[in-house]
Amino acid sequence: MPATKTNNRPEELTERLSSAASGGGGGDGGLLKALREVKNQIIGNRTKKLWYLKLGAVPTIVSILSSAADSDSAVIVQAAAALGSFACGVDAGVRAVLDGGAMPILVRLLSNCDEKVVDACARSLRMVFQSKLAPKYDILEEKNMHFLLSLLNNENDNVTELAASIITHSCETTAEQEALCDNGVLQRLIALLEGSTNQRDAGLDSLAAIMKSNSDVVSKLVTFNNGRALNSIIELVKDRCPRTRLLACICLIFIGNACTDHLKEFDINTELILVLVELFEEPGRAGDEAPYALANLIAGKEDLHKQAFSVNAVEKLCNFLHKKAIEAKRLQGILLALAELCSKLEICRTKSLSLKVLDIVIGALKHDCTEVRIAACTCLRSISRSLKSLSAGHLLNETAATSLIQLLHNQSTEVQVAALGAVCNVVVDFTTRKSVFLRHGGAKELVQLSRSMDSKLRLNAVRALRNLLFLADKIVKENILQELTISTLASLVCDAEASIQEQAMALIRNLVDGSVDCIDHIFAEDGVIITAVARQLWGATVPVCIQGMYVLSNVAAGNDFHKDAVMHHILLPHDTGSDSSILLRFLQNNDGRLRTAAIWCVINLTYPCNCTASERVTRLRTSGVVSQIKSMVNDPCLDVKHRVRTALEQCTVGGINSA
Amino acid sequence: MASKKVITREEWEKKLNDVKIRKDDMNKLVMNFLVTEGYVEAAEKFRMESGTEPDIDLATITDRMAVKKAVQCGNVKDAIEKVNDLNPEILDTNPQLFFHLQQQRFIELIRDGKVEEALEFAQEELAPRGEENQAFLEELEKTVALLAFEDASSCPFGELLHISQRLKTASEVNAAILTSQSHEKDPKLPSLLKMLIWVQNQLDEKATYPRINDLSTAVLEDPTV
Repeated sequence: MPATKTNNRPEELTERLSSAASGGGGGDGGLLKALREVKNQIIGNRTKKLWYLKLGAVPTIVSILSSAADSDSAVIVQAAAALGSFACGVDAGVRAVLDGGAMPILVRLLSNCDEKVVDACARSLRMVFQSKLAPKYDILEEKNMHFLLSLLNNENDNVTELAASIITHSCETTAEQEALCDNGVLQRLIALLEGSTNQRDAGLDSLAAIMKSNSDVVSKLVTFNNGRALNSIIELVKDRCPRTRLLACICLIFIGNACTDHLKEFDINTELILVLVELFEEPGRAGDEAPYALANLIAGKEDLHKQAFSVNAVEKLCNFLHKKAIEAKRLQGILLALAELCSKLEICRTKSLSLKVLDIVIGALKHDCTEVRIAACTCLRSISRSLKSLSAGHLLNETAATSLIQLLHNQSTEVQVAALGAVCNVVVDFTTRKSVFLRHGGAKELVQLSRSMDSKLRLNAVRALRNLLFLADKIVKENILQELTISTLASLVCDAEASIQEQAMALIRNLVDGSVDCIDHIFAEDGVIITAVARQLWGATVPVCIQGMYVLSNVAAGNDFHKDAVMHHILLPHDTGSDSSILLRFLQNNDGRLRTAAIWCVINLTYPCNCTASERVTRLRTSGVVSQIKSMVNDPCLDVKHRVRTALEQCTVGGINSA
Repeated sequence: MASKKVITREEWEKKLNDVKIRKDDMNKLVMNFLVTEGYVEAAEKFRMESGTEPDIDLATITDRMAVKKAVQCGNVKDAIEKVNDLNPEILDTNPQLFFHLQQQRFIELIRDGKVEEALEFAQEELAPRGEENQAFLEELEKTVALLAFEDASSCPFGELLHISQRLKTASEVNAAILTSQSHEKDPKLPSLLKMLIWVQNQLDEKATYPRINDLSTAVLEDPTV
């Protein structure tokens, strides 16, 4: 017994294969036996696959396949099946099969006259095309399109399913979608819906690929055969097979996203939500992918969030999170669906928190799989939109703080951006919890990232710092500023990206909000920050100017020195010779938010706290600001209208005093 | 109780006679049962007698039954190889089924008293699956516990050695093969009977009528008024 056993060790089997491949000994019977043994060892067995890959078995099997006579069906079937198995579920296996040059040989063998050979080769090719690593098949090339059509029209089910998976894998651009449509692929795929379960699933999967975000293709499908195609997809939502239900849902989501009119008469969304939520329970791919489909369906639509909530979607997702040992793919989907649901509705957030998932989400920040960590960040970010929970200090505990900070120096930018998104929200904490984040070195990490070369990281880091400074106490502010430095802050105000300028302005606005001491910071180092802010007001975009004006408004709430500096900057005439000041220009701006910010600045400058206020009112009057404000008493923007009244009252009182 | 509607046998039978069921549909139901359950010879005979075409190539039934039988007899390795010949995707894309087959193989080794071989097999084949999946690991721990007992049947998980475990595994393989052939894994007939029971229970709340109590004879029994 032990003797035969040793003969089947991977090392020896690989040896036998390669000596047979190079023509040496064993005879064909031995080769066939060895191939079949390898195939049976690796199917379902990841460890063995990796072992054989290391031994270099794949190139050997490819060479056996390429040198086999077309009539040697038995050897071809075993070799093709073994290659297909290597390509199933193991990335290194897919690479080995591709690098070994197996694809053209398998494709050639699709025209073999033995049905068993065709079956085996079609299955193996399909395995490869189900992997992300497979090369994209160039559909736009004419001869490729012909070949694809010939596969689709083949009588062998495995071959048509192969064609469908090539389409699913390779059809990405609008041009490709339309080329397939124009060549009759749409009709052919619709015809597959009448076939067996496998044919139907393959058809639905490919239909989704050629309809995705393409309203032209969608309307072709919807009007096809008087709407019969659409009706059969709608019917398949109720199919007995879970995978079919899922794929039919995905098709309808794409149809609805391309154009809501098509599905109006069906009120399909309610049904889709119900079916998808039910699918959560299914094992395998249907259950794994249902949460992603739900998230896609309800993305950004508050009414659908409500519907999903009313059929207990939040509860079900949370219950899953409590289960032990959920696979990464499923966990990621659940977190993303929950993130979507919690992004708008407070009831969903409250429900999630009451079902005690917060610790699980925080735990998932440390998951082995990058995608899960990103999903956990997204979920935490949505849940932490709850002002109620934030102000109660429920969200930022020690574990969350340390895990998030750790993710900030992750290697992947995507992880860092997702973590920053969560940090942005959790640090807007009204209680003393900010200190938890600071104690673990969070500010240092954020400052590091605010100097990143990657603008996405810079943007999100500055936004997080801005929120960290929101209503922060004096000591926190000083700590952060020391870390950040005056010069970095000044250069962020002048960043190449407008969105970063805006966040930097908003950061300074929070910094100078409050005590007079804090205002002094932006006059430090020869006033480099206030100069930068003022300079930006001349040329920056409206959102940047709005934040900039609020910086000046906050500074104008300081002492006489501060107020004079603001007066100086906002009354400077435009240097291109026009005599209109920056303040006048903003008061006349089309954007109500900018007018509001400008009026606030005037209010703070003219606040009647001491005798110097009247001097400023005089200056504002002589520079035409007061008469401009008078003309705004009926401003269409309510905010502006109310502030104008206050400003005018202050100016009048000041005016009388100065007279 | 008094408010319930009473339907007499005559009325009921008249109603039943008014329901027209096509012979073809009945035949399809029978064929579906024979095919799904794997009665290939009966299916063949029934096809010839009734002219009902099965929705699947009858030859595939023979292959499927051979797999099922191999598991039922404890020849699990043989069964695995047969499944792989039939369609290599089945076990490659169905880790749970693959694990259960390997587990069954391990159980058979213990049953045969091949302790050393069983241990080696567990180490090489089962342990890596347990590392890949938490749920498998728990099942694996229970199975390995069989080795800890002199008389494995006295182990708390001794039922793993029962024939019922083989049957469970066999029907799992059977279902997976059927699914891979785009066939429903359960015959339609039993679900119809389940529906019959459910409908009768619903009706019981509203009416008294001749009921079918014994499904094997389907005799209408007079209502007890």
